[in-house]
Amino acid sequence: MITQYLFYFLTFVAIFSALLVVFSKNPIYSALYLIVTFFATAGHYFLLNAQFLAAVHVIVYAGAIMVLFIYVIMMLNLNKEVEPHKSTMLKVAATVCGGVLGLVLVAGLRETELTALSEYSNPSIGLIERLGNVLFGTYMVPFEISAVLFLSAMVGAVFLSKKTIH
Amino acid sequence: MNEILIVAGLGVLTLLAEIFSFKKFIAPIVIAGLLATWVVAALELNGNIYSSLNASVLNMLDFDRYAQSFVLLLTTIALLWVIINYNFFSDESNKADHLSLILFSMVGGFCMVSYTNFVMLFLGIEILSIPMYVLAGSNKRSLRSNEASLKYFLMGSFATGILLFGIALLYGSTGSFYVYDLRVKTTGADFVMTPMFTIGMVMLLSAMAFKSSAAPFHFWAPDVYTGSPSSVTSFMSTFVKTSALAAFMRLFYTALPYVPETFDRIFLILIIGSLFLGNIIAVFQTNAKRLLAYSSISHVGFMLMAIRFFSEPTSVASLFFYMAAYAITTLAAFMVLKIVEENSDGDVSISAFNGLVKRNPLLAGTLTIALLSMAGIPPLSGFFAKFNILYIALNHGYFWLVIVAILASLVGVYYYFKIVIAMFASEPVLTPITLTGKQKILLLLLTLLIVGMGLNSFVFDLIPS
Repeated sequence: MITQYLFYFLTFVAIFSALLVVFSKNPIYSALYLIVTFFATAGHYFLLNAQFLAAVHVIVYAGAIMVLFIYVIMMLNLNKEVEPHKSTMLKVAATVCGGVLGLVLVAGLRETELTALSEYSNPSIGLIERLGNVLFGTYMVPFEISAVLFLSAMVGAVFLSKKTIH
Repeated sequence: MNEILIVAGLGVLTLLAEIFSFKKFIAPIVIAGLLATWVVAALELNGNIYSSLNASVLNMLDFDRYAQSFVLLLTTIALLWVIINYNFFSDESNKADHLSLILFSMVGGFCMVSYTNFVMLFLGIEILSIPMYVLAGSNKRSLRSNEASLKYFLMGSFATGILLFGIALLYGSTGSFYVYDLRVKTTGADFVMTPMFTIGMVMLLSAMAFKSSAAPFHFWAPDVYTGSPSSVTSFMSTFVKTSALAAFMRLFYTALPYVPETFDRIFLILIIGSLFLGNIIAVFQTNAKRLLAYSSISHVGFMLMAIRFFSEPTSVASLFFYMAAYAITTLAAFMVLKIVEENSDGDVSISAFNGLVKRNPLLAGTLTIALLSMAGIPPLSGFFAKFNILYIALNHGYFWLVIVAILASLVGVYYYFKIVIAMFASEPVLTPITLTGKQKILLLLLTLLIVGMGLNSFVFDLIPS
């Protein structure tokens, strides 16, 4: 019972703060509301019995990535309303597109019954030990190949930021 | 799998070259390494060497005949590309970065043609895309290059998000990431297509159509292709496009065989949209690079036709042949375009090609052959590529689609001839171009390949089964 109330509360917080991210004029406020959204999502992970994922989500997203966001906003001095004005047509078009996608998703997924998860009752499902086993067992190949992804992202970042010698 | 290991190792080696300062030798080493990869891929395709790693890597990658053929094609494209665009790596300060990014993106391409798990599809697309976002902006002083990079990055990451959403919904409705599980579940008698499955599938289709720049998801392509340095554009429209479409085809080849039939209307919109939008907008272009970008969109229309009718027995072979023919032709066209660009202060408008035959007949000849092949004039390879695909469409009973495709190609002939006429009928305004011996050999080789692949289709079955 309590989890159900928690679920609705977290959902409300997540959706409400996500809307505020979009609607607030000041980019710093947007970034701060995004942190709230991340915390609410982390709460959902807790409810799904994924403690490790929740912790990582808070540390990585609400911690590292948001600090970077705010840092960039301050470096580029975006904390004024300097955002260029979008034309009304563009706003209407974007709203219609987003609304249609939302409508289709809600209409389509409203009556969906998920395949019952047999392991849902297993209390150890979200623990780090289990995660390690899956990561180095079933998903070993993607885990190792993602090294190439991160290496290329790193090389790319260094390449873009280094000075060209003329 | 061997190819992935070799290429990833080469990528790391190029980075080490920067540290231990043997940068002078690194480009020849990479070419030698790619040659070795090519030999390995060819031997594996023939079944001469077989390592236990190759069978099926923990249900993640499966180097079956389909994957092996495309790995060989991709390696060929990459090898030719590195040799043709050798001067892209001439700048000492960023040589190692350029080379390693290209090599890492190759790893992504290999994953995309051999995945048996959606996790690997996603990772492959990301590994291929992220170096491309960076390389699109590798001409840091050009504003257009920066714009291309940013645009590609923003739109590309959005498309990846949609891909992930689609995969998540597919997982939600079937309970598996593994393609053969998915095949068993979705072809079973008791399978009901739930709304969740449909929405997930549509999202997956949209994301893959975006990655292969099919209309109506093509809006990024002209800007990115025009803004990026010409070498990178030629890599994008050959290697990246081949990987994306091979991954697209593999989706149905392995996991969801009946989807092209069920989602017929979506496919027809993608096909007809790409054919017509690509060809008709290309007519109004004055920039040759932009024109080639739109023409590449129209070629995607043909390739998607092979994917739509993939249940026909020769569809994989036709797609393979189309990609090979298109890649070689595009490499040739972009090689000429790049040489012209370098000799006209970066101008790539059609008027920069004025009187090219008088400035250098070999360049004009190669570009003419390449453009005629793209237009689908027999007996060049482009004709047989189109012929094969139209043939399977006809076999499937889509006579009207064949007519539509032929009409769209006729529009294509018009704008390809615009460049040809500029080369032959106009007077040159710029000085003659002198080519190095290596360039001459490469141009002749590419011309020979374009003509030879066409003639070969009569006598020799190039196509894998």
